[in-house]
Amino acid sequence: MTTFLIRRLFQMILVTIVAAMLSYGLLYVQPGGPIDVLLAERQNSGANRIRESDIQRVMQRFELDLAMPVRFSRWLVGWPKGPIFGSVGADWVVGCATPGQVRLRYPDGRVEIVEEGCEKTVTLADLEGRKVSRGVVFGDFGDSQVMLRGRPVTDLIWSRLPYTLYLMGGSIVLAILLGVPLGVYSAVKQYSRFDYIATTIAFIGTSVPSFVFGIFFILLFSVLPQRAGLPYLPPGDAVGVRDYTIPLIGMVEAGSFLDRFLRVLMPCGVLTIINLAGWSRFVRGSMLEVLQQDYVRTARAKGVREQVVILKHALRNSLIPFVTLLAGVLATIFGGALITEAVFNWPGIGRLFIDALGRNDYNVAMAILFVNVILLLLGILITDILYTIVDPRIRIS
Amino acid sequence: MTMFSKRSIAKLMTLGLLTPVLAACGGAPAAAPIKETVVVVQTTAPEIQTVVVEATTDPNADPGAGVAGEAFSTPHPILSDPKVRQAMAYCTNRPELISSVYPWLSEEEQLALVMDTNLPQGHWAAATEGITTYPFDVTKGAALLDEAGWTLPEGASVRENADGEPLSLSFTTTNAQFRQTWSAVFIQQMSACGIQIIPTYAPGSWWFGSSTGLARRDFELGAYAWVGETDPKGNTLYACNQIPLPSNNWEGQNYMGWCNQTASTAIVAANNTLDTEERVKQYGIFQQEFTKDMVSLPLFNRSEAAAATNRLSNFKPDPTEYQTGNVEEWEVSDGDTVVIGLTQEPASMWTVIESSAVQRVAGYLTGNNGGQGWAFTSYSYDYQPKALTELPTLENGGAVNNEVEVTAGDMVWTTAGEAAELAPGVEIVNAAGETVTYESGTVTMKQLAVTFTYKDDIKWEDGEPLKAADFELAQKIDCDPESGSVSLSVCESRQDVEFTSDSAYTITYLPGVQWPEYMIYALGAYPSHQVLADGRTLADVPASEWESVLEITEDPLSIGPYVLESWEKGQSMTFVANPNYYGGEPKVKKIVIKFIADTQQAVAQLLTGEVDVLGTETLGAGAEVETVLKAAEAGEVQGFTIASPTWEHVDMNLFVK
Repeated sequence: MTTFLIRRLFQMILVTIVAAMLSYGLLYVQPGGPIDVLLAERQNSGANRIRESDIQRVMQRFELDLAMPVRFSRWLVGWPKGPIFGSVGADWVVGCATPGQVRLRYPDGRVEIVEEGCEKTVTLADLEGRKVSRGVVFGDFGDSQVMLRGRPVTDLIWSRLPYTLYLMGGSIVLAILLGVPLGVYSAVKQYSRFDYIATTIAFIGTSVPSFVFGIFFILLFSVLPQRAGLPYLPPGDAVGVRDYTIPLIGMVEAGSFLDRFLRVLMPCGVLTIINLAGWSRFVRGSMLEVLQQDYVRTARAKGVREQVVILKHALRNSLIPFVTLLAGVLATIFGGALITEAVFNWPGIGRLFIDALGRNDYNVAMAILFVNVILLLLGILITDILYTIVDPRIRIS
Repeated sequence: MTMFSKRSIAKLMTLGLLTPVLAACGGAPAAAPIKETVVVVQTTAPEIQTVVVEATTDPNADPGAGVAGEAFSTPHPILSDPKVRQAMAYCTNRPELISSVYPWLSEEEQLALVMDTNLPQGHWAAATEGITTYPFDVTKGAALLDEAGWTLPEGASVRENADGEPLSLSFTTTNAQFRQTWSAVFIQQMSACGIQIIPTYAPGSWWFGSSTGLARRDFELGAYAWVGETDPKGNTLYACNQIPLPSNNWEGQNYMGWCNQTASTAIVAANNTLDTEERVKQYGIFQQEFTKDMVSLPLFNRSEAAAATNRLSNFKPDPTEYQTGNVEEWEVSDGDTVVIGLTQEPASMWTVIESSAVQRVAGYLTGNNGGQGWAFTSYSYDYQPKALTELPTLENGGAVNNEVEVTAGDMVWTTAGEAAELAPGVEIVNAAGETVTYESGTVTMKQLAVTFTYKDDIKWEDGEPLKAADFELAQKIDCDPESGSVSLSVCESRQDVEFTSDSAYTITYLPGVQWPEYMIYALGAYPSHQVLADGRTLADVPASEWESVLEITEDPLSIGPYVLESWEKGQSMTFVANPNYYGGEPKVKKIVIKFIADTQQAVAQLLTGEVDVLGTETLGAGAEVETVLKAAEAGEVQGFTIASPTWEHVDMNLFVK
């Protein structure tokens, strides 16, 4: 077991670094970005004119003037901060502040200017004095570049995390509590009316995108009843900003427990339905498989009560594959629900991630991605260990 | 197993077959070009040019044939003929295009969006006389096409020229639903005139990419939008020297490749003079040429909507001013709180590093660091004084444009838009408006000096009066590259700022600086007396630290109508009325700004009464607008539709690669 854990841990570190490298690279390779945003302002002439020095300043702020590996290394481990050991490699080129331009004069008289080489390079010595994080590996995610400009990324994440935790936690617990019995019952009563209804609902749940559900819910439980003078749920947010009155319930004080509870109902409902649909199908399938096993038949033949057969002999075994499904839960709880959070204006990590991508806040987006990768890997590790616990036949070596 | 499997032999054979084919396609290898290193120039070409008028050329003549051998020097076989372009304008039924995307607007509202020139209806510089208009008229369009030699063979639906070539054009725009909708109608309209349009709906990242699509003039007909401003500018879009070409590293935004000397001279002249009357005249000349040549077909202003609860009065949405521009005039009939919904959260309350619309909406409440929305407003494509007693202009004596003599060694503003020491070889604009290269001796140049005077009794929220030191601090910080300012052009163009009292100062610019919007380039203001949590005085904090000083970014001392009370990250900001506001404490006691990323959610909150105001920044022009306007019709909320400054147009590339 110990060797297994050590090996897995080593693998995890490797996978994390590769995943971080890939996501970091992809994030910067994608078109758009702060310089494009800046250049888009170029139709503003005169006083708002963007000059080469302005571009250089913005590039420096986003470290876009550094070569990707150097930038990545500074982000990952906060190194290099300047010349190595204070003096070595002060003139080593680590990036380019201004790309060079070359005029190509073709024999037929055509002239073209293309970017090639580097006009003004950045050396290790130039890095001295630049702001740099201690490195993600050491728990410093650096400063937000856009959304909370110049202030730590962790501030942003901490302000959103509680909301995501209780929304996602709540919906996952609900989905498990409802999904497992639902799946078991559907399997036991295979092809019954209940099974058909559950299957239909599950298909709807898995095939309808969450934003459609979200809008439907808002219309059905919020806008329409409110207009009809019936009790309604607030359409979004985690906390109200002023008191409101709901028919039959009365005055709801902004920020009170009731206010928060009413607001979590709809997003939590949508997420529960989506998870529930998939998971109950999964449990049903694996339960059906187990119910056809010889040992279940044997148990029944021995005269064991049907309830015990199902709950003790069948259910426990059918849940073994279900455990694998939970590997991703850890990451999901942290990462939040991208779409659902946006639709219900839930101030969670999912919305933060979308915002960060939309506004080119690379450090924030990378922090969320990085934590997600680690949690996903941890989830997989825990699942593997859990596997040995729920299924003694499996030995890890 | 043998060395060569059947598969590898097959591969070799295929390769053998393909190689000659590929070689034939590629042709003989091109002779290698000669490489020369280029000095990296300023990103945007200078705006200031000679105003000497050249002999007017026939605008219909081949517009500015380029250098021999230069890319884009072959006139487009179809679009280089002005008759075809004009015919297309006649064949375009703009009201029909508008109603395809804004069916919910009344006919009158739809007509108000129609654009005849490059400036929206009602703009101070929009010409109404002398311009060529193209009311929808298929007969006229068809006649022009016949005249141009594009005739409709019997039974055919596409016109042909004498050589039997079809009148077919490619049309590129983004894949945004909005554009696809009106484009479909546009294509039908063209087809009714016998013009075949082949559309390409490209991703915006390609169409507007920095080295793809529009930027590389990779289109025949191209549709996109410009954003109109109070100052019409336009010289980078339409002047002859702003045509992007491979030889100038694709500088400029005259994507059509349009060079009409009269128009080019007029738009440059309009941008280089400070005399409003002269500007209107020059913009008028430009618009006459622009509409006559019809190289860029103006279609319509986009429509934007805003909504407010019925409880709120004096809400005034405007195309060129943010919704909170008159927040101190707002009144509520019931309760004392107004909740505004915004799609984004400002990164910072500090205007220097955050220029988004949402920051401005919030920033106006606390005085926006003494900038726009506090010192002046910009309603209806014009400027109005607010904390300033009046806008200083040449006409009212608030500004003077003196002539000064400069000699070698003096700091001047060059044609490259930079401050530089006058030395032989430096290009400047002299007092007569001519571009000259300095050699020796003295030159007479224009020097602009503008005096800003503020109302008396302006106080910060803590009761401390506004003073000269506050303006001085703003001048020092805002002009420091360490602060994170994006553009420092205006700062560098200042020669001197003289403080005559605590509420008045005169900015003298370097000789040669002629900002058309000089009347609004006031200094900001920061509370120089403010003591920070760490015991330092704001005036002592170095510029590089400002972007992370909480007293600046998250809780600025207000000089505006409201004071920021609390900020729940990711959720809302709460402002309360400022009793020390110079204009008197506002009537609405509390304003909450809520961040709602999703427009549908925002509309749901408006309809359920959770939110009171959705500005144009939030509501935009999407499908949700219809829901809101229906609710407004039913009397549930107040709905407003305004013509956005963003206007759609179809550019016609006059040249082929």
